[in-house]
Amino acid sequence: MNVSVELSARKDVPRWLAVGTPVFTVLGALALSAVALVALSVDPIAAYNTMFVETLTDPFGLRQTATRTVPLVLTGLAVYLPLRAGLWNVGAEGQLYMGAIAGTWIGLNVSLPMVALIPLAVLGAAVAGGLWAGIPGYLKAKWDVNEIITTLLLTFVATQIASYLVRGPMQGGSGNFPGSDLLPDAAQFPAIPLLDVHAGFLVGLLAVAATAVLLARTRAGFEVTFVGSNPLAGVQAGMSTFRVYLFVFLVGGAFAGIAGFNEISGVQERLIPEFSPGYGFTAIPIALLGRNGAVRVLLAAAFFALLFVGGSKLEVAYGVPAALVDVIQALVILFLITAEFVKRYRVDVELGREPAAGPAGEA
Amino acid sequence: MVGFTAGLLDAAVRASTVFIFAALGEIISERGGVLNLGVEGMMLVGALGGFATTAVTGNYWLGFLVGMALGTLLALVHAFLCITLKSSQVISGIMLTLLGTGLTTFFGAAWVDRSIDGFPQMTLPLVGQYLVEIPIVGEALFRSTAPDFIALALVPIVWWFLFRTNLGLEVIAVGEDPETADTMGVDVFKMRYLCVLLGGAFAGAAGAHLSLAFSQLWATGMTAGRGWIAVALVIFAQWRPERALVGAYIFGLLDALQLRSQGIDLALDAATPLAGVVNPVLELLMHPTIMSTYPYLATILVLVVTVVRFDEAGLGAPSALLEPYSRETD
Repeated sequence: MNVSVELSARKDVPRWLAVGTPVFTVLGALALSAVALVALSVDPIAAYNTMFVETLTDPFGLRQTATRTVPLVLTGLAVYLPLRAGLWNVGAEGQLYMGAIAGTWIGLNVSLPMVALIPLAVLGAAVAGGLWAGIPGYLKAKWDVNEIITTLLLTFVATQIASYLVRGPMQGGSGNFPGSDLLPDAAQFPAIPLLDVHAGFLVGLLAVAATAVLLARTRAGFEVTFVGSNPLAGVQAGMSTFRVYLFVFLVGGAFAGIAGFNEISGVQERLIPEFSPGYGFTAIPIALLGRNGAVRVLLAAAFFALLFVGGSKLEVAYGVPAALVDVIQALVILFLITAEFVKRYRVDVELGREPAAGPAGEA
Repeated sequence: MVGFTAGLLDAAVRASTVFIFAALGEIISERGGVLNLGVEGMMLVGALGGFATTAVTGNYWLGFLVGMALGTLLALVHAFLCITLKSSQVISGIMLTLLGTGLTTFFGAAWVDRSIDGFPQMTLPLVGQYLVEIPIVGEALFRSTAPDFIALALVPIVWWFLFRTNLGLEVIAVGEDPETADTMGVDVFKMRYLCVLLGGAFAGAAGAHLSLAFSQLWATGMTAGRGWIAVALVIFAQWRPERALVGAYIFGLLDALQLRSQGIDLALDAATPLAGVVNPVLELLMHPTIMSTYPYLATILVLVVTVVRFDEAGLGAPSALLEPYSRETD
């Protein structure tokens, strides 16, 4: 039987398609992940009920989701901002660790009251994360060295440095377990009254607002978007791609660095090796889902936070590896880019028609 | 010292095989115009698939083939998304790496503490027993596992394929100038599919070698960034198989140094001037955890030096890399 597929570019995207795409992609990813659940003989409907409905209807689950949103939205912004300039920061995970190291060190070694110590530690974390991302940023801006490879490789370096420090110079406690001393109370985020979520949550919201304002209202933000959509035109308009590229990596890395300290200060209370379950990598799908605005990054981060919390619930209830979350998040994006195609082209499939005689090798 | 050098070389050669497989696959894929950032994911899938198959059947050759097949399968997704749907090669590749990492963590948990009988050490038939007698390099080069020999043999084969066969020249044409290649009657889409799938098979082989011959176990995330190093290696090699071999040995040596560094003592005598400053620094630099960062730092360094030394034209990247090809349809 002959199958004829015709592609034609769409002139405009139907509204149902534009609105429905994120929903369809998430549902598609969940449907395919159900296959993995069935392979481990778990009832997918019961599993998804545990993951989503039970998490969202339980105050503890909601609190946890809010707490998990903090590192995800901050690392999400760390990927999102360079993405607006057309660059890839695949190493938010490493920047997060550098921020955690610097922030923890300040928290342990500087004695100040809380109102001064926490901002100082956040600042230190931002500087450490920013400088760590600044290395690939500078290499890209100066010599056009591929930033995807350099950001990713520096992640391995950062996690090894953290691993060395908590087993060596920064090791605290009784000395048997890798990890620093407990942060003093003055360096731990207090809980927000009533919500019972640590105050790092507010830092995350602040970062979203700052990014939105930066991109929509400032000259620097305009240059970022302009260079991102057309670097050559940007140069002709007198913009410096060097400055823009360095800027997005410094600021993006700073966000990731803050994410690291927030997680230590608000959740872990001490620096331990491998404290991040890959926040900086989940940040990539988050930034892609939210690529149209900082607030969407926040929504995407909340969605993935829910996946994380629901995923660990699933692990407890059914013994399913929490890595299912990683599978779902990658599938969401793969479906999303498939959907982009459907948005751009009409696909007409006809069965049983003779193909028109054309040059050999029509694909 | 001779014993140490021979041992180090042996470890370096064994550690380089994974880079040879992965970099050769990436070269073929990129020569056809498609960047594959999913290598790391394809390697992981190949490593787990190969390991599980061998653990169940006891047949490491079957495991190796399954590893290659799974790498190819993941590459098929990449090919479909990038070639047929013309999606971003960067997004698709990164997501496939995340997908491969997630899938292997998910399904790999059950295989973590299993042991297998993987590829045994062997010598080449007939001449092998004499070749291993060569001082220092003999053991390193000529007593290895079968995949090590295959990888070495693939270097000239891929070179010959790309630069001396019609099919290879068509691959290069498709990566340099797809419009012209199409006009000359080359099927651009089919050719690119072939390149991406071959690249996936090589990445799967790299992973299967890792779990079946190199470490003979499965560990979560065991590729540890080697796929990304291979991507950088291709730039260093300027998309040429024979230079990729040199790069693979350099990184193999770095890998091996880190494993064998415990026996080295470079500390200055306490009486030497500056010993108080130099020795703690040396101690830090020779710490195994710190040394494990050297391959990544070296990759970045090599990448910077390569890119700074050549301008874009001199580097020799395929001109149509990252560009999806659409045919005028009317």
